[in-house]
Amino acid sequence: MVFLLQYIYKLLSTLSIKLGTGDIAKYPFLNEASDYIRETHFDFEEFNRPEMRHIINRAAERMETELISGTIYQKLDKYEVEILTFLVTLMVAKYIGIGLILKKYSLFEAMRAERFLSEDLKKERNEQRKHLLLSKIFEELFKVTVDVDSTDNRLFKVRVTDYLMRASHFHEQEWKLINRLVHMGYVYLDAEETVRLIRSELSTLIYNRVKSMTLSTFPETIKLKADELRVKLVPKYEHSIYRVTGYYPPCIRHALKVMNQGENLPHSARLMLATYMLAIGKSIDDIVILFHNAPDFNEKITRYQVEHLAGTKGSHTKYSVPSCEKLRNENLCFATEECSGIINPSQFGRNSKNYNG
Amino acid sequence: MVSSINNNSYEKNIVLLRSAFREYYFKHSKIIEIPERIEEREFGFMLFEAGMIRHLSFRNIGELLATLIKEVPSDVYCSNAYYRFPTYDMHEKQWVGADLIFDIDAKDLHLPCEAMHSYIICANCGEPQEIKADVCIYCKTGKLNHVSIPCNKCNYGLKKEVKHLVDFLISDLGIKEKTISIYFSGNNGYHIHISDIEFHRLDSQARSDIIGYLIGNDMMTESIGIRKAEASSDGFLVKFPKSGMMYGWRRRIAQKLGIDQTSTTKLHNMVQQKGGYSGFKAELLKMAKDIGVRIDPQVTMDVHRIFRMAGTINSKSGLTKIRCNNEIESFDPLNDACLLSDKEVNVEMKVPIKLKLRGQSFKIRKETARIPVYAAVYLICKGLARVN
Ligand code: SF4
Ligand SMILES: [Zn+2]
Ligand SMILES: [Zn+2]
Repeated sequence: MVFLLQYIYKLLSTLSIKLGTGDIAKYPFLNEASDYIRETHFDFEEFNRPEMRHIINRAAERMETELISGTIYQKLDKYEVEILTFLVTLMVAKYIGIGLILKKYSLFEAMRAERFLSEDLKKERNEQRKHLLLSKIFEELFKVTVDVDSTDNRLFKVRVTDYLMRASHFHEQEWKLINRLVHMGYVYLDAEETVRLIRSELSTLIYNRVKSMTLSTFPETIKLKADELRVKLVPKYEHSIYRVTGYYPPCIRHALKVMNQGENLPHSARLMLATYMLAIGKSIDDIVILFHNAPDFNEKITRYQVEHLAGTKGSHTKYSVPSCEKLRNENLCFATEECSGIINPSQFGRNSKNYNG
Repeated sequence: MVSSINNNSYEKNIVLLRSAFREYYFKHSKIIEIPERIEEREFGFMLFEAGMIRHLSFRNIGELLATLIKEVPSDVYCSNAYYRFPTYDMHEKQWVGADLIFDIDAKDLHLPCEAMHSYIICANCGEPQEIKADVCIYCKTGKLNHVSIPCNKCNYGLKKEVKHLVDFLISDLGIKEKTISIYFSGNNGYHIHISDIEFHRLDSQARSDIIGYLIGNDMMTESIGIRKAEASSDGFLVKFPKSGMMYGWRRRIAQKLGIDQTSTTKLHNMVQQKGGYSGFKAELLKMAKDIGVRIDPQVTMDVHRIFRMAGTINSKSGLTKIRCNNEIESFDPLNDACLLSDKEVNVEMKVPIKLKLRGQSFKIRKETARIPVYAAVYLICKGLARVN
């Protein structure tokens, strides 16, 4: 009987607890934010009104901070402002239409949300609100169940399989399962670590929001701002895009293409790219820039790894480019006729030169 | 592993094995386990004298049994993966998931008894080698195979490792006991299959992380609270992690070191004794390897592999890959997995041998002997005898 009453009480109290407007301001990708836009019957043409200039400037400021300075935008305003600002940034990204810029912006927005979320999880004293946040973001959006540890509410637990599906793609050693507390099918994490797990899904979510956006026309004010921004962004992003020329062997061309689209490359492909670029005499700096476009780019780690391959760090052995045979086995080979007679990508193009004298 | 000598006795060996295997599939069809979701699996056969065929599919166990009796493969395999189109080429099959599988093999345990019961046999002419060499001393060609007649110590060591693995699987990974199937591999090892549906979706990378966990790879000192201090390479700080030392690897390490969570003093002293951070780090890596489970990593990582099917005969020995969950303590492979006929046949021995099979001891010194089919097949599969 007592149990039943407790249960009913719990049920009632969760029903009465809802996401606050403050949450929607921090997490404007939540379904609740889209609901808000719909319910207020907001018309995109309203962005052309002078009162909206503030929002549009703010959106541009946010994108510049993240895409040019490379830092997370910190400001947080009222939810009405935040929802609209976010919406404008998405429209601008759509209008600019460069996949790489969108990828990068999505990643920064994911990290911005990540920061708010781990703060919230650390500070929130009300257990029910904490659960609500967890279920709204982790469960509803990504089908990951996160529980608060019953003895220590600073700790969160996730199923070991949910953990592995994500963390096994991270490169840092501390994310290896063996360096985690694992017990009875759960991995125990602190707030930051828990939130880090879904970074790439969050950024994919934002990316897809933009991709699936269907807009027949853009408000003039947004077009103007987007053009302004494009002028500032393109040189920066063109610089980091290695041009995919006919000069590289097909395997390298393919990997560069994937990389330039901001997709995740498997470790074996990164190794191939880095050793190849070293072999043809690119500098370590240039190679580090090349990996800028990887969704999980971390300058320090990448530099260390490239230096290691170059033999300037660690074991002091210089790594050579994997053979064509090895690359074929790893499904990284995309051989064309030009590849005939070579056994290592670094030989590509040399043979023909020899023939022509 | 019937050696491929081009003469009469090779043919005769095959005739004997085929008839013994056929009789087995006829009589013991109940032992063959029907894989779950059979229609989504890929099957493969190794045929006597004809090599491997893959990308087969069966809709039910009846179809499979009929084929076994008709074709009599030397080995029968089934994918641990589930595919939408199991008979298509690998890249068109559409992988849906795969059982998690572990392989514990005597070769990975490096048991001291191994050398006492191994033989080197030429893969070309089938002759046993008295001395270690690169090529066969008789035909001067050929790859040399190592064969082993496992002893009780092997089996004891293997079972201990199986129990060790199962402990990790249940108390750390939370795998439900009823989803763990333990099989004797049919030769000198055990296969552990996990049917827990939660683990099906794990890709090869995730599985590789599980392996690292089980074998004790890449343990960081930081995960038990020992951090490098900035200044020198051996300076360090000790502070136990927030999530404690009570479970999983941290508990295993704490137990081994004899420390508990109440005080860092003892741990501090230990690190000091090892010469500081880097000395202790090396020690910890070694310790984790010792505590870890010895499994074959490749088997677990491969999510497209076809795997020996439970209840079928292993042609390396003529023994059956057979489930032994409940009887693991008392399980004796040379008895419980030895299920071929006991009719007698004449064999010619290549080496004198002492062997216990199905409760009966064989001490064969003579060149020829009359022994039951199950023993003859065992010795022929090992390359130690041929049909006379
Ligand atoms: S053949 Fe060699 S160089 Fe050509 S695509 Fe394949 S791996 Fe690259
Ligand atoms: Zn030989
Ligand atoms: Zn032994």
